Amino acid sequence: MLSSVILAELTSAVGADGIIVGQNQLHTYECDGLAALRTIPAAVVLPRSTAEVQTVVKICARHRIPFVARGAGTGLSGGALPAAGGIVISFSRMTRILDVDIPNQRITVEPGVINNHVTQRVSPHGYFYAPDPSSQTVCTIGGNVAENSGGAHCLKYGFTTTHVLGLEVVLPTGELVSFGASTLDAPGYDLAGVFVGSEGTLGVATSVTLRIAKKPETVQVLLAAFDSIAAAGQTVSDIIAAAILPAAMEIMDRLSIRAAEASVHPNYPDAEALLLVEVDGSAIEVETQMQQVRSLCKTNGAWEDRLAQSERERMLVWKGRKAAFAAAGRIAPNYIVQDGVIPRTKLPVILEEIGRMAEEAGLLVSNVFHAGDGNLHPIVLYNASIPGQEEIAVDLSMRILHRCVDHGGSITGEHGVGKEKQQAMGYMYSEPDLDTMQRVRCAFDPQQIANPDKLFPRPRLCGEKTGPYQLHPLEREGTAEYF
Amino acid sequence: MLSAHLGTIVGSEHVSIAKEAIAVAPADAAQAAAVLRFANDNGLPVSPVGGATKKGWGNPVSSKITLHTHRMNALLEHTWQDMTCTVQAGCPWSSMQAALARHGQFVALDPLWPDHATVGGVMATNDSGTLRLKYGGLRDLIIGMTVVLADGTIARTGGKVVKNVAGYDLHKLMIGAFGTLGLTTEITFRLHSLPVSSQSFTLLSQTVEPLGDLLLQLIDSHLSAQSIQLRIVGDSFGLDIQLGALPEVLKEQSSLLLEMAKKAKLSVEEASNEVWNSRHLLFADANGFTIKATMLPSDIARFTSMAHGFGGTAVTQATGIMTAFLPEGREEAILQLRREFTGSGGSLVILQQPANGSVDLLDPPSNSFPLMQKIKQQFDPNRILNPGVFLGGI
Ligand SMILES: Cc1cc2nc3c(=O)[nH]c(=O)nc-3n(C[C@H](O)[C@H](O)[C@H](O)COP(=O)(O)OP(=O)(O)OC[C@H]3O[C@@H](n4cnc5c(N)ncnc54)[C@H](O)[C@@H]3O)c2cc1C
Repeated sequence: MLSSVILAELTSAVGADGIIVGQNQLHTYECDGLAALRTIPAAVVLPRSTAEVQTVVKICARHRIPFVARGAGTGLSGGALPAAGGIVISFSRMTRILDVDIPNQRITVEPGVINNHVTQRVSPHGYFYAPDPSSQTVCTIGGNVAENSGGAHCLKYGFTTTHVLGLEVVLPTGELVSFGASTLDAPGYDLAGVFVGSEGTLGVATSVTLRIAKKPETVQVLLAAFDSIAAAGQTVSDIIAAAILPAAMEIMDRLSIRAAEASVHPNYPDAEALLLVEVDGSAIEVETQMQQVRSLCKTNGAWEDRLAQSERERMLVWKGRKAAFAAAGRIAPNYIVQDGVIPRTKLPVILEEIGRMAEEAGLLVSNVFHAGDGNLHPIVLYNASIPGQEEIAVDLSMRILHRCVDHGGSITGEHGVGKEKQQAMGYMYSEPDLDTMQRVRCAFDPQQIANPDKLFPRPRLCGEKTGPYQLHPLEREGTAEYF
Repeated sequence: MLSAHLGTIVGSEHVSIAKEAIAVAPADAAQAAAVLRFANDNGLPVSPVGGATKKGWGNPVSSKITLHTHRMNALLEHTWQDMTCTVQAGCPWSSMQAALARHGQFVALDPLWPDHATVGGVMATNDSGTLRLKYGGLRDLIIGMTVVLADGTIARTGGKVVKNVAGYDLHKLMIGAFGTLGLTTEITFRLHSLPVSSQSFTLLSQTVEPLGDLLLQLIDSHLSAQSIQLRIVGDSFGLDIQLGALPEVLKEQSSLLLEMAKKAKLSVEEASNEVWNSRHLLFADANGFTIKATMLPSDIARFTSMAHGFGGTAVTQATGIMTAFLPEGREEAILQLRREFTGSGGSLVILQQPANGSVDLLDPPSNSFPLMQKIKQQFDPNRILNPGVFLGGI
């Protein structure tokens, strides 16, 4: 509970209509897309401007109150989960597009702006905002920045971090600073680079300058049906080996095809695996490359391939893919979406392992993935009303992530660590690696009030001595020794 | 004594005494860590050295130890099917590229002096050339690193997969940090396929405006230009364009380009690949000033002509990064240019100036400068890593 003094300060910062303290309304903010974890915050503030955000953060800093920024709350790892007794800073009122500069291919927005609205704003000029998370019609640029979100088209165009040029940030100390600029290579350390993907732990962005991209002249999507995931996976490798860089390459397995079909009826062929390949560029370029892609599909045994050429056909193909998570609800009452990454060539191995592990656990796992960059989304299906099944599902999903790390990959490709995968961070990184990250956090947030108790596997204080020197695994392996 | 101790770490044959500093060459990250830990415990400033091609960049540092990376020069792995590679920091840029080319791949960046510059040095100075237009800069190409901190901590950041959001992107902090936060010993890159075919053109003009306009038209067009730069050529200006695409596509695109040029009443000639090396010439004269300035693409023509007016030569990438040379005695001009750049949302940093040069590398520092100092304090509290070399004396 916040004292009446603090509440009065917050109220004067954002106005009486900009603060929520009623229990019923607070429930709306108790979780994000990871609904299994819930904490009711002490208050929610809805600032209208950078100045108001700064005042709020200063109050938090003065009283050492933890705070968490919140965009649309679609995060899948508990990033926007409030801290007990903490404050939520919601960006639902900071939704202005501040500046559009078409000749320089830049746009500056407030963090509450919805991802899709950026594209809509620049579309009449022939441009689009490239990072396209499946949640793009609702998620915000602030959330995208914090999570370094990706999407199907990031294979060719790069993730959020590539598209963020500059940021205005309120640091956890309450200082207002700018990182990067609308020009490249702002002098000094690349603070924009380290802020993007920091999951709200280094401060709060209040304005973001983004790069926009020219809409390609021609776009074609191929949908190819295979008898096995391995064949679809091999096709992906072959396409890459042929030096083709498609805009997107996605694979769906039988379970997820069925789920998508049941939910949004994209009219997919009933196959073991579907491969979606989108190629864009100039007309001849697309023509030439699509021919190559089709022949590689054939070589690998595709028994059907459909080319979607009109905008409408393309949208339908994508609709099924983008609905894949939500559609899982059609085949099981509960599910966990995971987000592991493996080097692309390990695809067949990991899929076989996931299949085996699922069978051992007695659960079904459906798979959709950004195949081009090795980002898997295994969806572990379960029924929470069966005692013990949720624990089995959680355990299975974590073990899948561990296998991804074992194959030289990562525990998360786009959903972030948040609260959900804190422990897995300890599996992926060694203590010295984590301590080094912690140094950055301490430089930004010595009091550790910005989205605390997330990201790292255990609480670390700033100024904490890490004890006697720790061996790095490199040293322990005996690769080298010290003198 | 000092050198004897360092000899026990790296082997005495890898220690040599130069005029002001002791040169050591560790074999690996672990030896480098032992050297840094020793220096840190004894308050001895250390300067990492790769190919020494950019020795004069930044503020002068008087170090007690120079740490040379040339023994760490291997391409450790090239998993070409995954289009990634891991390379040691002391590997010369061109050697790495030659090895990657065996599988038709490359790190899509064209830095200065690739035959001598090392991967680590290119990274620490955040150098990039014209390919940045198509492929992005080092921040877009580096996906992981091994870094040795001042206290000897060896840390890994990122990984070996192109997509990874686990934890902070620490490697982005190291890029362009001039070795002030740690010694990078290994870098993992994402790779691209070498372009199948390419063709370069130069458009010449007495006045800069039509070239500036064409540059903006080009980046707004569907042409797949991989490089575009605006150059001062004696008393006139040149716009160089390199198209890179499949052979069938290249033909079509070249004719589109010629059409655009014709409309703008500009004459076109085929260019040799040499034009893409013109940035090198701007560093030849150590008695003058070489600067890096940044601007919006729409300001490129204006600032190029301004640099020209001050007696400078310049090459500006279409991404808005200018390298310019101004002869000695032009301090005033530089300060004036700096005001202009800063006033238009850009910046001007001195890369190289005469030994007696007195222009601040950067001025004014951004409002995030105090935070940069705090980061330095966290990573290197005793200030042993290249102290003072960086902007603002970090
Ligand atoms: C159906 C579905 C599909 C999805 N598909 C994808 C996908 O394809 N790719 C992908 O990458 N993600 C995907 N996601 C995850 C999610 O949509 C993204 O992580 C998104 O970026 C979150 O945005 P948000 O506005 O909802 O942020 P929130 O969930 O509100 O917050 C996410 C994090 O951002 C922080 N944050 C928010 N605003 C700010 C700010 N202004 N300053 C600092 N920190 C801030 C929060 O504190 C929190 O840590 C999907 C989610 C769902 C539900």
